[in-house]
Amino acid sequence: MARLVILGAGVAGHTAASFAAKWLGKEHEVVVVTPNAKWNWIPSNIWVGVGAMTKEEVTFDLAPVYAKTKINYKQAKAISINPEGKQDSNNSFVTIEYTGQGKEGESEEVEYDYLINATGPKLNFGATEGLGEGTTMGEHTVSVCTADHAVHAAHELEACIEKMKAGERQKFLIGTGHGMCTCQGAAFEYIFNIEHTLQERGVRDMADMTWISNESFLGDFGMGGLHFKMGGFITSSKVFAESLYAERGMDWIIGAHVNKVEKGMVTYESLDGSINTQDFDFAMLIPPFAGVGMKAFAKDGSDITSTVFAPNGMMKVDADYSGKPYAEWKPSDWPRTLQSPAYKNIFAAGIAFAPPHPISKPMKSANGTPITPTPPRTGMPSAMMAKAVISSIVDMMTGKSTEPTHTSSMAEVGAACVASSGKGMLSGTAAAMTVFPIVPDFEKYPGTGRDINGTTGEIGLAAHWVKHLLHHAFIWKAKLKPGWTLIPE
Amino acid sequence: MSEIKKDVKGNHSHVQHVEPYTPQFGTMIPSGTQKFMRTCVIWQVCRFLAINIKMMTLIIKSHH
Repeated sequence: MARLVILGAGVAGHTAASFAAKWLGKEHEVVVVTPNAKWNWIPSNIWVGVGAMTKEEVTFDLAPVYAKTKINYKQAKAISINPEGKQDSNNSFVTIEYTGQGKEGESEEVEYDYLINATGPKLNFGATEGLGEGTTMGEHTVSVCTADHAVHAAHELEACIEKMKAGERQKFLIGTGHGMCTCQGAAFEYIFNIEHTLQERGVRDMADMTWISNESFLGDFGMGGLHFKMGGFITSSKVFAESLYAERGMDWIIGAHVNKVEKGMVTYESLDGSINTQDFDFAMLIPPFAGVGMKAFAKDGSDITSTVFAPNGMMKVDADYSGKPYAEWKPSDWPRTLQSPAYKNIFAAGIAFAPPHPISKPMKSANGTPITPTPPRTGMPSAMMAKAVISSIVDMMTGKSTEPTHTSSMAEVGAACVASSGKGMLSGTAAAMTVFPIVPDFEKYPGTGRDINGTTGEIGLAAHWVKHLLHHAFIWKAKLKPGWTLIPE
Repeated sequence: MSEIKKDVKGNHSHVQHVEPYTPQFGTMIPSGTQKFMRTCVIWQVCRFLAINIKMMTLIIKSHH
């Protein structure tokens, strides 16, 4: 019997654990280590953040799901990895620290034969002065990164609505809280949901709404933008996104590195090097992501963190980390097997792997400050990576192969994104976008870098229905209810 | 700062809030027909099927 340890139970970790339990059966042991007691369908946090859903509708307890599938669930956070074992043992292990199950604060060494790092990100609020302290959100802004954050955001939004009803004009500022943020899509969806909510509540006329982002153009989305067919043209996502903001009377600030948040005001540096400020009454600023801060140690106890992890704390895998300039970037820079080059029994999936470089062209302000979106790798790509990784590991654990048998490169897979604007079945409209591949391949698809038949965008109620469908389908799947394997990643 | 205005009939207009020579002035704004089609249930049922087909095609192409 071999043991597979999976760190994290988000989209990537939970997908890997679910398939591991199904495919490995009782022959092998599957252990999941996650500091969270609940699974969260993060895309629907946006609806929680405007009070359209409750926390309970987007989360569920992990323990009963893992109990029925015989997954050994440890509510703990991973502290370090010892891939070579220790002086008196050759067995690889991770050191964990419990956050629940009545063992809070206790440490344990969990041995593994195979390890998947799917921890997701550390929400690095501390990277921007005033945005928060370390992983804790600050007092001046809100967030929708977790269900609890979204509940708090809805609370603050309601307070603003009450002020507007009382005749007090309010300024909304939504976007990214640092020059190196990713996840613009979440903030993008949130600003449109707020706008829709204010329309529904009859106070839109009392709101000034502004988008602030580290993108060099609207619609970059951390992917260097995309192009799709629309109205007889091959249209840029820049035009698509600008149209959405213009239609709704929202202003935008782009190429912004927010470097300070104070009560009612952010200070930001623009690409032209100027330092500006923006007032707000309500601000939701996505923090930058970092690795969770795990360490790695060799058999003799020496620190090998820099061998296993990139400087940002994400795990190094089979990518090209040479740091070459933008003009030399290639799709083959992106990892395919997601296997650690240093330790063949360690893999990473989802946000936890270190990208070789951004997808968007790197930008710096006139002062030299990097202002570039980092690559998005949440949701669908995370799940696809996790399925490829677990497929390879199962083949290796069952003796079918000694090398990874499946691949999932972001330069070879696509992604779908649905950004709602309200939650109603007959009101509001969402934007549905597909992109293939995620990382543009200008050799294979000259011009736009993407398959123009696989890259699409449209706005309408239908996308709302798709969003509802995805919400219910993926929570069903994550709960491992009958037929869950029929729902694709 | 853009401000949502109302047209002569007192309705919100999707065009009238755009001020000349602002960034919003330089992009496309959907026409009334386009906005109607976005919420036309019969048309959107067709689009729902189309989006699902597109996404399934994408998923099939993405799994290796």
